[in-house]
Amino acid sequence: MSTYNLPPKPARSTWKKIKTILITVAVIALYVWTFLGINIDWGRAIERAIKNFGIVLPKLFSPDWAALGEVSEKILETIFIAFAGSLMAAILAIPLGFLAAQNMSGSRFVSGIGKWILSGIRAFPDLILAILFVVAVGPNAFAGVMAIAIGSTGMLGKLYSEVVESIDMKVVEAMEASGANKIQILFHGVLPQIIPEFLSYAIYRFEVDIRASSILGIVGAGGIGLMIMFAASNRNWNEMGLILLAIIVVVTVIDFFSAKIRRKIV
Amino acid sequence: MIEFKNVGLVYPNGTEGLKNVNVKINDGEFVVIVGLSGAGKSTFIRSINRLVTPTSGELLVDSEDILEYRGGDLRKLRTKVGMIFQNYNLVKRTNVLKNVLAGRLGHTGTLRSILNLYKKEDVGLAYESLQRVNIADKLYNRADELSGGQQQRVSIARVLTQKPSYILADEPVASLDPPTSHQVMTYLKKINKEDNITTIVNLHFIDMAMEYADRIIGMRAGEVVFDGPVSEVSEKTFEEIYGRSIREDDMVGGADES
Amino acid sequence: MTKKEEQLTITKAPSIYPAKTKTQVSIILFAVIAFYLYSMYRAQDEMVGGIGSALTNMWSVMVKFFPPNFNVVSAIMPAMAETIQMAIIATTVAAILTVPLALLSARNIATFKPIYFIFRTFLNILRTIPDLVLAVLFVGMFGIGVFPGILALIIFSLGILAKLISETIEAVDMNPLEAIRASGGNTLQVISYGLVPQVLPQFTSFVLYVFEINIRASVVLGLVGAGGIGLILDQQIGFYNYPNAMTIIIVIFVVVIAIEYISNKIREALI
Repeated sequence: MSTYNLPPKPARSTWKKIKTILITVAVIALYVWTFLGINIDWGRAIERAIKNFGIVLPKLFSPDWAALGEVSEKILETIFIAFAGSLMAAILAIPLGFLAAQNMSGSRFVSGIGKWILSGIRAFPDLILAILFVVAVGPNAFAGVMAIAIGSTGMLGKLYSEVVESIDMKVVEAMEASGANKIQILFHGVLPQIIPEFLSYAIYRFEVDIRASSILGIVGAGGIGLMIMFAASNRNWNEMGLILLAIIVVVTVIDFFSAKIRRKIV
Repeated sequence: MIEFKNVGLVYPNGTEGLKNVNVKINDGEFVVIVGLSGAGKSTFIRSINRLVTPTSGELLVDSEDILEYRGGDLRKLRTKVGMIFQNYNLVKRTNVLKNVLAGRLGHTGTLRSILNLYKKEDVGLAYESLQRVNIADKLYNRADELSGGQQQRVSIARVLTQKPSYILADEPVASLDPPTSHQVMTYLKKINKEDNITTIVNLHFIDMAMEYADRIIGMRAGEVVFDGPVSEVSEKTFEEIYGRSIREDDMVGGADES
Repeated sequence: MTKKEEQLTITKAPSIYPAKTKTQVSIILFAVIAFYLYSMYRAQDEMVGGIGSALTNMWSVMVKFFPPNFNVVSAIMPAMAETIQMAIIATTVAAILTVPLALLSARNIATFKPIYFIFRTFLNILRTIPDLVLAVLFVGMFGIGVFPGILALIIFSLGILAKLISETIEAVDMNPLEAIRASGGNTLQVISYGLVPQVLPQFTSFVLYVFEINIRASVVLGLVGAGGIGLILDQQIGFYNYPNAMTIIIVIFVVVIAIEYISNKIREALI
C-alpha cells in the first residue's frame, strides 16, 4: 500500500478543549455520585421478584369482573375531576397567559413576572398540590379538582402565552389605526387568532389530566387512585388488572376523540 | 463491463420504469443518458447498483448477473459502483472528512466504522480524494456550511474514496448554476480519464451532454430510443429522443464562462 | 331599492356568523358547562359542609405550614439526593433502551409493516399508564425501595421518549441514508452514519426533557414506597408536622426549578 499524507489535525482553540474536558469531567462526576449514592437492594428485589412474578402477572391478566361496578364508578369520578379541573385551569390560565405574553403586557418586566408565576406553579408536581389541598379541604374529590386546576394552570398559561406571542400583530396595528379601543382590539383582533389554539391546548391538557387524576386518590384526593392503593395493599391483583384495563381503555378513548377534535379545530 | 439483457422493470403501482432494455457499456466509457424527466433515466442508473430492482431480464456487471444479489453480495457490488446524487446526499451536520470517509464503509468492519476507528490509509485516501477535487481546505467544515457546488465536489470525493470501478451520477448538476455545473462535469470527466473509471451520467441538458459524453443513450418512456457515439448525434437526434422540438431551457449554457 | 327589499334588510339584518355555527357553539358550550356543574357537584358530594366551608377552612390550614422549619434541611438532603439519582439512572437506561425501540417504531426505518405496527401499539398502551400506577405495581412485585421506583420511571419515560424520537426519525432527510447504502454500507452503518448525526441533537434535547419529567415524577414516588423524598413528605404530613413538610416542599421546588433552568440552557445551546 502506498503511503498517503494524512490530513492536518483540526485546529481547535484551547478554550474549546478545556470546555470539552470540563463537561466530560462533570458528566463522569455526576454518574459516579449517582451510582455510589444509590442503594439498590438487589437481593431483596430479586428474591421478591422470583416469589411474586408467577403470582402477580397471571392475576393482572385475568381481571376481576366482579369489581366492574365500583371500578366504573371511580373511573367516572376520575373523569369528573379531570374535566372540572381542566376547565377551571383553561379559564384561570387566560389572564396569566396574557400577562406572560410580551406583546400584550407591553413591558418585559410585567411579562417576566407572569412567566415566573407560571413556572413557579409548574415546579409543583400535581401530587404535591393534591397533598396540600387534601390537608386544606379534606380527603375528597374537590381537593383533586383544585390540584388539577392549579397544576394545569401553570402549563396551560405557558402554552397560551406562546400562542399570544405568535399572533399577527399587523392585524392589531390595523385596528388601532382604525380607531378601535383596547377592548375592541382584544375581542376582534386578538381573540379570533388565538381561540382555536387555546381550545386545542385546553383539550390536550384534559388528556394529560385524565392520567394525572387517576393517581390523585393515592393521597386521598378522589378518583380511582384510592382503589389502586387498596388493591395493592390487599395484594388483590385481579382487581388491579381490571383497574389497569379501565385506565388504558378510558385514556385511549379520550386521547382518540381529543386528537380528532383538536385536528378539526386547528 | 455492464450489460443490460432484455431488462424490464415494473413498479408495484404498475408503472413501467424500464422496457426491454439492451445496452452494453464498455470499461472506461463516459456515457451520458438523456431524456425528459420520467423517461426512465434514473431507473436505468439505479438498477446498476440495485437501489431499484428490475423485474425481468438479466443485468451483468463484470459478467455476473446482479439481479440475484442479496445481502453481502449486494454490498460488495455497491462498494464497486459509486454513486453521485442530484442533492449531494451528504449528512449535513457531519464534517466533510467524515462524509468522505463514509465512502470507505463498505470496506470497513461495522464495529470499526461505528467507533470511528478508520485505518490510516483510509483517512489518507479520503484526504487525497478531497485534494483531487480541490476542497481539502474545507476538511473540518460541516457539510451544510458549503455551497452546492462544493457539496457536490465533496460527494465526488466520497465516491473516489470508495475506489470504485464504476461511477453513476444521477442528475449531478440539476441543482447547480451553469458555471458550477461545468466545473463538476469537468471533475467527473477528469476522473474518468485519469483513473479509467466507467462513468454513467444522467443529464437533461443537451449542450452539456454533447460537451462531455463519449457516447449518448437516449431514453423515452422506459425504452432506449438512441444509442451511439457523440459524433453521430445532432439536434435532430435530440428531437427524436425528446419527441418534440428543442427549446432554450434544454440548454444549460455558460460553457464559455467556466 | 324597492320597498319590499328595504323591508327585508330592516327586519333581517344578517348575523356576522352563520346561524348554524351559532347553535352548534351554544349547544357545545351548554354541554360543557352542564358537565362541569355536574362534575363539581359530584366532587364536593362527600365533603362535609360543602365548598363554602372548605374554602374558609383552607386559609386556616395553610397558615399552619408557616413558618417552614429550615432546621431539617440537612436531614432531608440525602432523600433529595436519592430522588435525583433515581431520575438520572432511569433517564440513562431509558435513553439507551429507546434507541432500538424508536428505530423499530419509525415508519421509514422499520419498513416491515407488522413490526412497525406492533411496536407503535405497544408504545401507545405503555403511555396510557400513569407513572405512579406503574410504581404501585412494581412495589407490589419487588417490594418497597428505590428499585421499583427506578423501574417505573424507566418504563414511563420509555413510552414518551421512544415516541418523540421515532417521530424525529420519521422526519429526517432520507437522501444521505440512500447515499450510504449506495456506497455499500450495511444497515448498522447506514444508521450510524446517515441517521445518527441527523437525530443526535434532538435526541439529547428530548433526553434532557424526559429527565425533567423524571425529576418531578421521582419526587412523588415515595408516596407509594418507591424511594425518594416523597416518603418523608408523606410521613411529615401524616404526623401533622406541617412546618417540616413545608421545608420539604420548598426544597423540592428549588431543586426542580434549578434543574429545569440548567436543562433548558443546555437544550437551547444544542439546537
